[in-house]
Amino acid sequence: MASLAPTSTDDRPLLEIRDVSVALKTGKRTMVSGVSLDIRPREVFGIVGESGSGKTLLTRTLLGLQDDAFVESGRVRFNGEELPVAGYAGRARKLLGHSIGFVPQDPFSSLNPSMRIGKQITEAIYLAKGWPMGAERTREAAISLMAEVGIPEPALAFNQFPDQFSGGMRQRIVFAIALAQDPKLLVADEPTTALDAITQRRVIELILDRSRRHGLAVILISHNLELLRQSVGRIAVLYGGQLLNVVASGDIGRSTVHPYAEALFDCIPTREKTLADIRSIPGEPVGAGFGLRGCAFASRCPYVVTACTTTDLPRNGGLTPSFSACILGRGAP
Amino acid sequence: MAGVDIPMVELKGIAKSFARRLFVQNRSFALRDVNIAIGRGEVVGILGESGSGKSTVANIITCLTGYDGGTYRFKGRDVGAYTRKERFAFKSDVQIVFQDPYGSLNPRATVRGSVMESLILHRPDLSRAERFERANTLLEEVGIPAEAGDRYPHEFSGGQRQRIAIARAIAVEPELLVLDEPLSSLDVSIQAQILELFVRMIRERDLTIVFISHDVNVVRLICDRVYVMNQGAVVEEGFARDVLTHPQNEYTARLLDAVY
Repeated sequence: MASLAPTSTDDRPLLEIRDVSVALKTGKRTMVSGVSLDIRPREVFGIVGESGSGKTLLTRTLLGLQDDAFVESGRVRFNGEELPVAGYAGRARKLLGHSIGFVPQDPFSSLNPSMRIGKQITEAIYLAKGWPMGAERTREAAISLMAEVGIPEPALAFNQFPDQFSGGMRQRIVFAIALAQDPKLLVADEPTTALDAITQRRVIELILDRSRRHGLAVILISHNLELLRQSVGRIAVLYGGQLLNVVASGDIGRSTVHPYAEALFDCIPTREKTLADIRSIPGEPVGAGFGLRGCAFASRCPYVVTACTTTDLPRNGGLTPSFSACILGRGAP
Repeated sequence: MAGVDIPMVELKGIAKSFARRLFVQNRSFALRDVNIAIGRGEVVGILGESGSGKSTVANIITCLTGYDGGTYRFKGRDVGAYTRKERFAFKSDVQIVFQDPYGSLNPRATVRGSVMESLILHRPDLSRAERFERANTLLEEVGIPAEAGDRYPHEFSGGQRQRIAIARAIAVEPELLVLDEPLSSLDVSIQAQILELFVRMIRERDLTIVFISHDVNVVRLICDRVYVMNQGAVVEEGFARDVLTHPQNEYTARLLDAVY
């Protein structure tokens, strides 16, 4: 597990997101507004949200992968380098595949079905390290990478096609491709949602293990708060396109957190809970691009007061390790 | 739990295989020697990962699919030997709610119409006005306002559609309700709402429930007994609280360890 306290030698954030808003290209509708986050080197960071919270839109846009959305305003710095809002996607995509690795959700559509997996991995190595490496050494590097992510008999698997592998194995192959370029940051968007419980646990452990041993920073996006609570150091909670809470995972279920984070934790069945511990949240989740004044969660919040719908939310300065957007101060550090 | 001697559902040595390819004798087994007995009033979980055969069991219990070996007795009577009349009665005794609420409602019927339709078949004694009233009551019971009954499935969210599917299933007052992964396609906060609805239904209605799920934590919460399936076979059975806290089977233990 990543340490929560910034290390004294290197506490400059690896990824600095300040007041970033994401809008759709058609209609210029703001979907995610004013998000500030700091991801530190070697940190394992989680982003949780229900469908429509904007978690996938935000990260895909920040990676330059979302064709129908753009960074509307704000500042993004990666590894000390400023990424200008104008022409953002192009700049971000240059980082992707070099300093940033990405593992998308669906392992069944993220590999080229007509290309042997060995070729797909060596291609990534070529791109990162260039041609002078030579075919034989690249092949060896790919095979050792495959062994590292736990693909059995990698030399044999090298010549196989994606359809000959299970979902868990395919996700490992995607992971190997993401790691081929030795990134500083790995972004995994619901990497295990399509997988069975046993495989899910193995893939998550694999990612955490790599992070520990190679000092890789990880952003793990999931709808499963319990999974994140057990796997990551800090969790950002998104709802209706707003960043409502940044919280140390150990605080969830123990200390006071943002009302939405609290309610979200109360609705998931976990090992320890009995039926009496489960409390659902009334109503339906609002989508991203909520667009009204005030807090997106106000309509479902048990602590709601009139001011919740009329006051602008406090923005995260980003410098403190935790943050709550609740105007009542619930869960504020 | 089983009040009477004859179990409501009794699967004995059920086998089911699918041809790997057309016209080829090489068959793969979806189920091997599955024995399941469910008493009246029980809430029984069938737990397994994808490919374990749990949904095939659901389809066999509801007679949506056949089987190749073994016998299935419903209330003591062999389903294979059913007459036409019995088969018709079976359909109102057993109802199913599917995983995907987007695919299980008729998009061209209003949601009240969907609920009323099953009443036309199974309660021909009711007048149209009575069916209308009953459908409204059922919708209200699952948390859909009666006025919304005039709307079409696409106007509802996933959670609301699942509520409507539940209203339709209980409309004919089934004795056995099979829930095939009813929470899997829903958002976390909506899952908890539907779970609360199930708990209320279990308390208020005289229902026997088969709950098919891959979610260990949900099964532990609402089921009396559980069958754990792996690769087409039942590997462990017993009281949910015992099996899911102190598993005896190696696979169950691995599954429980993996769950967050």
